[in-house]
Amino acid sequence: MGVGILGYGVYIPKYRIKAEEYTRAWGYFAAPGVSEKSVPRHDEDAVTMAVEASRNAMKRAGIEPAQLNAVYMGSSSSPYGEKLVSSTIATAIGVPKDVCVSDFGASAKAGTAALLSCIDLVGSARGKYGLAVGSDCPVGRPGDDIEHALGAGAAAYIIGSESLVANFEGAHSFGAENWGGRIRRDGIRFVEDPGIARLREIEYEQSLASAAGGLMRKINLKPENFSHAVLQQPDARFPLRAARVLGLTEGQISTGLVAPGLGDTGTSSPLIGLAAVLDKARPRERLLVVSYGSGAGSDALAFGIEQGIEDSRTKAPLVDDYLMDKQYVDYLTYLRWRRVLTRDREAS
Amino acid sequence: MAYISVPSIWRELPEKYRLAVFKCKSCGALNFPRRRICVGCRKPSEFEEQKASGRGKVYSYTVVAAGATASEHAEEGRVGGPFPVAIVELEEGIRVMGQVTDCDPSAVKIGMNVESVFRKIYEQDGIIRYGYKFRPVEMTSGRQ
Repeated sequence: MGVGILGYGVYIPKYRIKAEEYTRAWGYFAAPGVSEKSVPRHDEDAVTMAVEASRNAMKRAGIEPAQLNAVYMGSSSSPYGEKLVSSTIATAIGVPKDVCVSDFGASAKAGTAALLSCIDLVGSARGKYGLAVGSDCPVGRPGDDIEHALGAGAAAYIIGSESLVANFEGAHSFGAENWGGRIRRDGIRFVEDPGIARLREIEYEQSLASAAGGLMRKINLKPENFSHAVLQQPDARFPLRAARVLGLTEGQISTGLVAPGLGDTGTSSPLIGLAAVLDKARPRERLLVVSYGSGAGSDALAFGIEQGIEDSRTKAPLVDDYLMDKQYVDYLTYLRWRRVLTRDREAS
Repeated sequence: MAYISVPSIWRELPEKYRLAVFKCKSCGALNFPRRRICVGCRKPSEFEEQKASGRGKVYSYTVVAAGATASEHAEEGRVGGPFPVAIVELEEGIRVMGQVTDCDPSAVKIGMNVESVFRKIYEQDGIIRYGYKFRPVEMTSGRQ
């Protein structure tokens, strides 16, 4: 019995801010390769974005909400410190109450963590169908370089065992103590950079290389066997460097490179990249997806594209549809909508 | 102290979270929100939940000034400014009221095509109140 993706869907907010807006405010823009990024409106958060992505995934999967046995949400920017939001998503898409809901968090890797758990649930036959969604809109302090890249988006996957558009072919993970990536202190809503730039680069490259290298050894494939590779995108330069370390070409990662127009979309970054590849991939192609979460860990997953992919595409909006439908906001609107300029107690 | 009606929390979630409509089992009329007495046959009845398409047209609208909102909406008004509220006639033929989002208030027009989306309405007592809003379909042509 195979396990894999039955349907997928994304959501990207309509609003964008250009790099030039940052340059005007600060004199520079600190997100290499990013020309503009997505901005959630003031009435959007990780939950609302996850709901629209999940509804799009359900349109493609062609199953009823009552058939879902699990709803898993991966976000580093849940609007609650404690309270499930996978339950909110389940109710919003009409899933009956006998469903396993789980929230995954604490790093940008939480999207692939949710996806892998969903694959394990269906693979072990504990459930027939599951929904895994990565949705994120992390916030930083204005003036912190690490804030410049932060974008917003969501991608959802319905996992099943038949009528698949992409067959799961294996996974391998990396995890080890590291201090280089970003952190968010307990009780604080802003992410921050510990400021050890070289360590951040090494941590990112080693995590991705270990997870992806281990996966390729496990399933006996080489970098050139993958038509497309999607790497976690803290900005648009990190994945280009990691690609070289991994022995991947720019051509292999270009289809799934979404950071230039979206910025760092956190837990949804590798999952929106995967959706961008599914929007264009052909049957029998093979894909590699590798996440990264600071602290640090990576999940590498391999998929093989199935025949059903072309029919599936037309049933919901593509990543490109969302990328093209946009409206620009200025820096002040951005700060207000992100509730950074606010009198709210949250601003602490 | 949270001022929340406990029974209404669960009762209203299907309407607010997924724009559920309720079909009368005796006369077939659609009710929104659900009632004990059907709007069609005016009798006590049993109802069946149905998924609304979420698509419709603006039947009428107004713009709520940011400073003139109910207190629970004040924070959203402060951050987002004045917001349009419309009565939308759904494809199913029933009229529902909701905010129009992803749209400048001056761009809302009677007859414009809209679709429902899931958004944050306001926050109170630490609980985020989510629900449906509408967004223009013209502006989201690629989004079905």
